[in-house]
Amino acid sequence: MRETWVVGAASNRFGKMKETGREAATRVSLAAIESAGLAPKDIGYTFVSNCFGIAEHQAHVGPLINGGLGIPEVPSCTIESACSSSSAGLHEAFVHVAGGFVDAALVVGSEKLSHLDTLAATSYFATAADYSFETKNGATFPGLYATLASAYIAAYRTTPEMFGAIAVKNHANAARNPHAHFQKEISMETYLHSPIIASPLRLYDCCPFSDGAAAIVVAAKEFVKTPRSEPLVVRASARAGAITEMQDRTDLLGLPSTRTAAAKAFRQAHMEPKDIDFAEVHDCFTIAEALALEDLGFFPRGGGARAALDGLTTRDGKLPVNSSGGLKAKGHPVSATGVSQVVEVFEQFNGLAKGREVPRTQTALTHNVGATGGSCSVHIFSRR
Amino acid sequence: MSSENLPAAPHTIEEWVHSYEQGGPLRGFRCPECGLLTATWNLACPRCGQVGLLEHALGSAGKVVAFTVLTVPGDEFLNDAPYAYVVVELDGGGRITGWMPSVRTVEGLTIGERVRFVPSYKPGVQFSREAEARDSGKVA
Repeated sequence: MRETWVVGAASNRFGKMKETGREAATRVSLAAIESAGLAPKDIGYTFVSNCFGIAEHQAHVGPLINGGLGIPEVPSCTIESACSSSSAGLHEAFVHVAGGFVDAALVVGSEKLSHLDTLAATSYFATAADYSFETKNGATFPGLYATLASAYIAAYRTTPEMFGAIAVKNHANAARNPHAHFQKEISMETYLHSPIIASPLRLYDCCPFSDGAAAIVVAAKEFVKTPRSEPLVVRASARAGAITEMQDRTDLLGLPSTRTAAAKAFRQAHMEPKDIDFAEVHDCFTIAEALALEDLGFFPRGGGARAALDGLTTRDGKLPVNSSGGLKAKGHPVSATGVSQVVEVFEQFNGLAKGREVPRTQTALTHNVGATGGSCSVHIFSRR
Repeated sequence: MSSENLPAAPHTIEEWVHSYEQGGPLRGFRCPECGLLTATWNLACPRCGQVGLLEHALGSAGKVVAFTVLTVPGDEFLNDAPYAYVVVELDGGGRITGWMPSVRTVEGLTIGERVRFVPSYKPGVQFSREAEARDSGKVA
């Protein structure tokens, strides 16, 4: 395998886009390619994620993006893995570049749902669950994570303040991230007084519906030679699957696909959880951050929820988690999320995360979950 | 292989839906190798990989292992919120998810509480608290 780097990255501001998902994807793609000091003609393959493009009456958006970049002859394909779509795209790009099939690949994710009402957007999100055995029985996306939260709270006797501290921390980070949907801090009081969406989840436990687009360029070390920015060396690119349906899981206190992908990733990287300086984890709901920290091996079972309250995952903590604001506050434009986590690592490595710097940036981990854990990607990066 | 000879499960998803729409018993599958019981349509066992599952009638009552009360509903349940979404451990084995229109607050249900499948003209697998189902006479 060839040593593979992330050499360029770009994101727009998450929230509400006036432009189409296709325009946003094309713009962040060109910005990512230019940040790498490359030109579109250097790209050998484009991996696009746009889960809910059909909500914009658009499938097969890859050729449109490549056309917009002046490289219509370059192959593209759409990678769909629910909320982990664009990290799946990164994995495909890694396989192509490390395997020597292409020298440089573009990975881009874009999503636009803000033109829909909450009910329609909720319905689109719910399509990532099992329609026949979950959605038709009344499940929504918050409902499924709330069900996991109910099992977690019953098992570990947690307090609302533990989950509140996760929300407060991620909002504080997002307030310092110009890409974030919510650029304002919230207080514990605001969290505790927010309405229940799906018990025990309150409004401020939930990520927002966001529009957004993000792109990265993945290239072989030997192709880039002298990178314009500090590249991220891809030390591990691992994915895993697991049973989707909650009714068939024997253990509701974690996501098995995270555990499997993490084990693979740490093995690939010859690293352990203690070797990671900071992490971007999949916090679509605060309970998801708690589960991720345990499943990734950073904290013991039952210890994930209290990590934020204990100050262990703040930017100055033992393991800074979601310095970008996470899905919770940076926002969750489904198909852009996985790539945007890598954008945060790129900005931290290159001193571009002004006002939200983490103290140590030799290594980083990104963790991106598809729906309620049917899919999961874990990537580990280091400096050269 | 001709399309007529493609592998088939003992029942289809449509037949599963009919099983609860018509009042049960809830149709499920049993793995002949490891004994897993599941309501989910599969050709092979999701636990041990054994191909070829057997038809199995699942139990109609059980206990709640996890639940939420939804105030923002799914689009097929617009007029039903708030309601509970539950994961139920069925008597005789196997877990199933369903919904409970009679549970409208989080205080209205506890983990471990006994519930029973009730036939309904509404969509989805519907449960009631066991005592409630008995009183209404709507027992599957």
